[in-house]
Amino acid sequence: MGRASAKDYSPSSSSSSSSPSSVDCSKHKNRTGASLSFASSMCQFSGCNSGCSSSTRGGRTRRGDLNTDLRLGLSIVSPDAQRDNWIDPSASKQREQRQDWPPIKSLLRTTLAVAGKADTSVSNVHNNNGDRNASLFVKVYMEGIPIGRKLDLLALHDYDDLISTLAHMFTTPIAYPNGDRADHAESLHVLTYEDREGDWMMAGDVPWEMFMTTVKRLKITRSDRC
Amino acid sequence: MYFCHFMQLTDNQRLALSSSVCPSRSNPTSLSLSLSLSQPIKKPSSILCSRVFMAHLFPEEVLEHVFSFIGSDRDRNAISLVCKSWYEIERWCRRRVFVGNCYAVSPAAVVRRFPEVRSVELKGKPHFADFNLVPEGWGGYVSPWIAAMARAYPWLEEIRLKRMVVTDDNLELIARSFKNFKVLVLSFCEGFSTGGLAAVAANCRNLRELDLRESEVEDMGGHWLSHFPDSYTSLVSLNISCLGSEVSFSALERLVGRCPNLRSLRLNRTVPLDRLANLLRRAPQLAELGTGVYSAELRSDDFSNLVGALAGCRELRSLSGFWDVVPAYLPAVYPLCSGLTSLNLSYATIQSSELTKLISQCHRLQRLLVLDYIEDSGLEALAASCKDLRELRVFPSEPFNREPNVSLTEQGLVSVSEGCPKLQSVLYFCRQMSNAALVTIARNRPNMTRFRLCIIEPRCPDYLTLEPLDTGFGAIVQQCKDLKRLSLSGLLTDRVFEYIGTYAKKLEMLSVAFAGDSDLGLHHVLSGCDSLRKLEIRDCPFGDKALLANAAKLETMRSLWMSSCSVSFGACKLLGQKMPRLNVEVIDEEGHPDSRPESCPVEKLYIYRTVAGPRFDMPDFVWTMDEDSALRPS
Repeated sequence: MGRASAKDYSPSSSSSSSSPSSVDCSKHKNRTGASLSFASSMCQFSGCNSGCSSSTRGGRTRRGDLNTDLRLGLSIVSPDAQRDNWIDPSASKQREQRQDWPPIKSLLRTTLAVAGKADTSVSNVHNNNGDRNASLFVKVYMEGIPIGRKLDLLALHDYDDLISTLAHMFTTPIAYPNGDRADHAESLHVLTYEDREGDWMMAGDVPWEMFMTTVKRLKITRSDRC
Repeated sequence: MYFCHFMQLTDNQRLALSSSVCPSRSNPTSLSLSLSLSQPIKKPSSILCSRVFMAHLFPEEVLEHVFSFIGSDRDRNAISLVCKSWYEIERWCRRRVFVGNCYAVSPAAVVRRFPEVRSVELKGKPHFADFNLVPEGWGGYVSPWIAAMARAYPWLEEIRLKRMVVTDDNLELIARSFKNFKVLVLSFCEGFSTGGLAAVAANCRNLRELDLRESEVEDMGGHWLSHFPDSYTSLVSLNISCLGSEVSFSALERLVGRCPNLRSLRLNRTVPLDRLANLLRRAPQLAELGTGVYSAELRSDDFSNLVGALAGCRELRSLSGFWDVVPAYLPAVYPLCSGLTSLNLSYATIQSSELTKLISQCHRLQRLLVLDYIEDSGLEALAASCKDLRELRVFPSEPFNREPNVSLTEQGLVSVSEGCPKLQSVLYFCRQMSNAALVTIARNRPNMTRFRLCIIEPRCPDYLTLEPLDTGFGAIVQQCKDLKRLSLSGLLTDRVFEYIGTYAKKLEMLSVAFAGDSDLGLHHVLSGCDSLRKLEIRDCPFGDKALLANAAKLETMRSLWMSSCSVSFGACKLLGQKMPRLNVEVIDEEGHPDSRPESCPVEKLYIYRTVAGPRFDMPDFVWTMDEDSALRPS
C-alpha cells in the first residue's frame, strides 16, 4: 500500500492519451484509492468514474470504462514494476514528476542538467556551440495575453506533442505546416518561434532536433497576421 | 457616530489580521477578545497594556520616539492593538511593512493605514512554486502594489519581492516614481527583462542594492549595465548570478571601479575566470564574491594574477559561484579560507577530496552549501574542522537517478551533528536514512531550528529495519524544542504527525510529501501545532474530515497548500462558504471541478486568510469558493 500512488506513473497515462480530461479523471481515482483498501477503492473508482464520464464537457471525449478497468489492473502490479515506472523516461507522468520531485530549485536544476547530462544530445549540441546557458525551458506567448508561460521542451517528443500541449495550455487549436490532422485546417492560430539569431520562423520548418537547439521563445499568433 | 467608530475598529482589526502585517490569533470582530488572546504569547504587549493609563500622559512625540526603538513586526502589531491612540501613533511612524501574502490585504488598505512607509516587502506565489507545483500564470502580480505605492509613497526606499510577477512596466514605474530609491531585491520573481533593469539602472541614482537572486529574467543582452550613469557611485550590493546572457564586461568593470562602497558582488556564469582578477583589483574591499565560471585555459601568469587579486581581498567572508570549477585553480582561494564564514559550492561539481581540501581550511565557516559529491568522508572532515558551522545544505548531484552515484548516507549528517555544536539549520538530500541516525542527530543538536530532510525515493523506510521513520522524526520534534521549520520525507505513518502535534509547539512551517495514512495525520498537525503559519502538503491521503474539523485554525495561519491529496470539491465549497475570511482556491488545469461529482478530490488546493476578499486576477484554472461560488458560471 505504501507505494500505491506510484501507479500514477503507469504507462497507461502516457502521452498517447487523446484527452487530457480523461487523464485527470483517472488521476483523481487513483489518489482516492491510495488511502483505501483495495475492495473499497474498487467501489470508489467505479462510483467516481460513472460520475466523471457522465459529465463530458465542451465536446471533449473522455476515456471509457474499459480503460479505467485496465488502470485498475495496473494499480496492483508489483512494487518493483511500479518503481520501474517511476524512472521510465517514456512515461509522461514520469516527466511531469521529474519537474516537481525531488524538490530542487530551478537554477540548481538547470545547472545540474547542463553539467551532468552532457551525454544527452541536446546539451551536447549546446555545449559544442559554447552556449552553457542552454535552458530547457522556453517561454510561450500568445497574442493578446501579456504574460508568457513556461514550457519544458525536453519533456516533449515532437511537433505533434508540442502543438497538442500548447493547444491545451491556451485552449485553442493551432495549425502548423506539417500537421496532418484535418481539424487544423479551421484553426485560426499558428505557432512561430524566435531562433538564436533573433528571427521569427514558422514552427515545423526544420526537424524537431534542430528546432530544439535553436528555439529561444515561442509565440502563438493569429494566422491571418502572418 | 457610534457605528462609525465601531466600523473603524473592525477595519483596524481586520488589517491586523492580514498576513504578517499582524501575525495574530486575533478575532477580527472583537477588540477585547483579540487582546486577551494575544497577551499570553506577547510579553511586550502585556507590559505595555498595564501601563496604558500612564502612557496617556505622554505627548505623542514621546511615544513615537519610544516606538521607533521597536523593530520587530510582531511587537509593532502588538502596540497597535493596545488602544486607539497608540494605533494612530504607531501607524504614522511605521516605516517598514512586510506582507507575507500579497492577496491577504489590498494595497489600498496598507497605503491607507501606513502613510509614511519607506520599505515594503511582499510575497506572492506559494512556496511550492519553487518546485513547479504551481501552474504558470497562477498570479502574484505586483502591478497593483507598485501602482498604489507610486502614488502614496514618493519617498519609498526599498522594495523586496519574492515569487511575484514583475513586468518591465513595473520596473520603469519604480525607476520613475521613487526619488530616493535604494534597494531592489527580486527573489524568485519572473516576467521582466534586462530592459526593465536598464530603467532602474538609469534612473535610481541612490540605488545601493540590486539583487536578482534566483529570478527568471528575460535576456535582451548585457548592455543594461551600461545604463548606470558615470556619476553613479552608490552601489553596495549587486547580484546578477541568475542572468543567462553575457554582461557587458567593460560596463561591469567601470561600475565596480567607481563604487567605493561595493561590498557584495555576485556575478553570473558568463563572466570568464581570466577577467575576474581585473575586476577584483578594482574592488579589494569586497566582503562577498560570487565568481562566474571557474574554468578557463589560464596561462601561468594569468593564474598568479588571479591568486594575487584574490589575496588582495582581505575582507572576503563569503564565496559562491564556481560554475564548471576546475580543481586545479581552487588553490587560488586557499589564502582566503581562514576568513570565510559562508561558502556556496552548490554549483561546484568536483569530487570529495578537492572539496574536503578546501573546506577543512575554513575554520570559521558558519554556512555551507554543497553537492553530495562531498560524501560522508568530506562531511566528517567538515565536522572536525568547522566548529562554528550553523547551517548546512547538501544537494543531490544526480537527483533523478535511483542508484546512488556517491557515498553520501545518513552517516555524514550524524558526523556533522556530533562535531558542530552550533549547527541549527539543515537541508539534507540523501538516499537512505534510519531512525537510529535521526535519534542521534536529535540528541546531538537539540538547538536545531530548521530541519529539512529529503530522502530522494518517496516513502523510503528505515533502511536497517524497514520500519517507518516515525520515531526518528518524532525524536527531532521532541528534542528540538525551538524547531521552526520542518520538512518530512521517507515512509511515514500518522504516528509521526501525532508526535509533531504533541511536541512541535513552535513549528511555523511544515512541508509534507508522500506521507501519512489518514485524516488523523492532518488533524494532529492542525490541532496540535500552536505556532503553525504555513503548511504545505503534496501526495498525502488527507481529506475532508481533518480540514473541516480544523477550519478555524486556518484563520490563524498564513496559508495551506494541498495538492494530490483527498480533499473533495464539496468540502472546499463548504469551507469557502463557512469561512468568509479565508480564500479557498481550487486549482485545476483540466477544467472546472464542477464538471465532476463533488466527492471527487480536487487537484490542487490553496487556502489563505485575507481581509481583501476573493482576488480578481485569477486565471481560468483557479476557482475561489465563496458564498456565491455555486451560482457563478464556470
